[in-house]
Amino acid sequence: MSHLHIPDGVLPGWIILAGWIFTALILAFSLYRVRSTELKRKIPLIGIISALMIVCMTIPIIPPVYHINLSVIAGIILGPALAFISIFIVDLIIAMFGHGGITVVGLNTVVVGAEAFIGFYLFQLFMALMGRDSIMWSSGLAAVISLILSTSLLIGVVYLSQINPELVIAVEEDHSTEDTQEHNIQEIPKELVKGINIKSFAKTILILLGVGWIIEGIITAFVIKYVSRVRPDLILSEET
Amino acid sequence: MDVAIIDYYANHGKSFLHKAKAFWKIIFAALIIASIIITNEFYLLLGIYIALVTIATWTKLSVTKILTIAAYPAIFALIFAIASWNGSWLRAGVIMLKALSAALTMVILIVTTPYPDVFNAIRPAVPKIIAEGLFVTYRSVFILLELTDDLIKGLKVRGGITRRKYISNVKNFSSGIGLLIVRGFDYSEKFYGVMNVRGYGGKISSGKTQNGIGRNDVIALIIGILIFAVSLGTVIEKSLLEFSIYALVCSVIALVISSIYVQFNS
Repeated sequence: MSHLHIPDGVLPGWIILAGWIFTALILAFSLYRVRSTELKRKIPLIGIISALMIVCMTIPIIPPVYHINLSVIAGIILGPALAFISIFIVDLIIAMFGHGGITVVGLNTVVVGAEAFIGFYLFQLFMALMGRDSIMWSSGLAAVISLILSTSLLIGVVYLSQINPELVIAVEEDHSTEDTQEHNIQEIPKELVKGINIKSFAKTILILLGVGWIIEGIITAFVIKYVSRVRPDLILSEET
Repeated sequence: MDVAIIDYYANHGKSFLHKAKAFWKIIFAALIIASIIITNEFYLLLGIYIALVTIATWTKLSVTKILTIAAYPAIFALIFAIASWNGSWLRAGVIMLKALSAALTMVILIVTTPYPDVFNAIRPAVPKIIAEGLFVTYRSVFILLELTDDLIKGLKVRGGITRRKYISNVKNFSSGIGLLIVRGFDYSEKFYGVMNVRGYGGKISSGKTQNGIGRNDVIALIIGILIFAVSLGTVIEKSLLEFSIYALVCSVIALVISSIYVQFNS
């Protein structure tokens, strides 16, 4: 469990909708990006990596909830575009098991998809900086940093969800004549930030997920090292 | 996640929900999830949860197993509940019940409907690559589950996973995952080759979608509409919230009667 699956009913409708729109846009961009590749050849590979992610989620590393995601590995092997498609498929299927909410598949895909996207580019960057011999360090560091960033994204989503956009708009309209719009954006009134205590939430998940980042980072490093020895073409294939 | 058990339940159950068509069951699930999302009253949510447990008894499957599978999001919901703690147990209960009820709804859908039927029903709403990806993923999960099972057994038997040798365990386990990726990739190449020989052109045939509405579909739909109507009623007319305790009592009575009936008829 290097990330948190958002359950149904805890976030307001507008942010759930925003998550779906954002996911749809990224999916559309991903499909546009892979348009030149032979998709029917890639479908079995997407299926196998998605299935592997699901299977790994069934193996508890620390029972009952700590499991590995392989999201960064999916990013490194499939490339960011195909990995995002794969993660959407995984999130949709696991939501049917009640593992993460079905209404928040969009948001969960954005959060987990960010791990694959950031992980892929960080891996490429570290490999360029440290050389091919550092594949284990590159993949491990890429995994840990991308998980930290995706957790920050999750905290950001939860923080944003506490702001009622209707109230914010109403406040901005009230003060529009006083030329204080900039002030309003910087200082959101406390009464508009309700529900989840963001500090408490951030502390809780940072403590819980911190262990997960390290475990996932180490496993990612060893997995990528193994795959690069046996099938190096899988790691350093064409970017999609 | 008990993927194999869920698949077994979906394909071998004989309840009215198993006989209902996937499309109508998805509507049924959507109505219940909508009612869970719009409801913020503890007793009404508890009533919905108990009503879902009642529906789970009607599936004639192991209710304990279904509830265990659907209890997974409780851990995530607990984190949100702790973060939202304002001294009110009811507020924490609402967060927990929302997550548990939505998960139970999805689990009831999936233990009574084979995955290919669900994918077929949602096929028109998703891009082709995702629809195809869903089918291939589903097929691959079972092959990989078997490989993983063999792998873990092999690691244990050959001393690859032993007590107190954490670094060595992680290294061996990771190599095992790496092996699964390599074997999975080879499998995907073979799979593509076999599909090509069979005339694969980018679309996996998944059988015909059954049209029309039957008796079992109507029953599922009525249950969904009834639960949604109660929730919507309390949202529109707040004074109806006073009666939510009656909804809870009705759910409990339905659960007791259903449990006794199923017990005597099994």
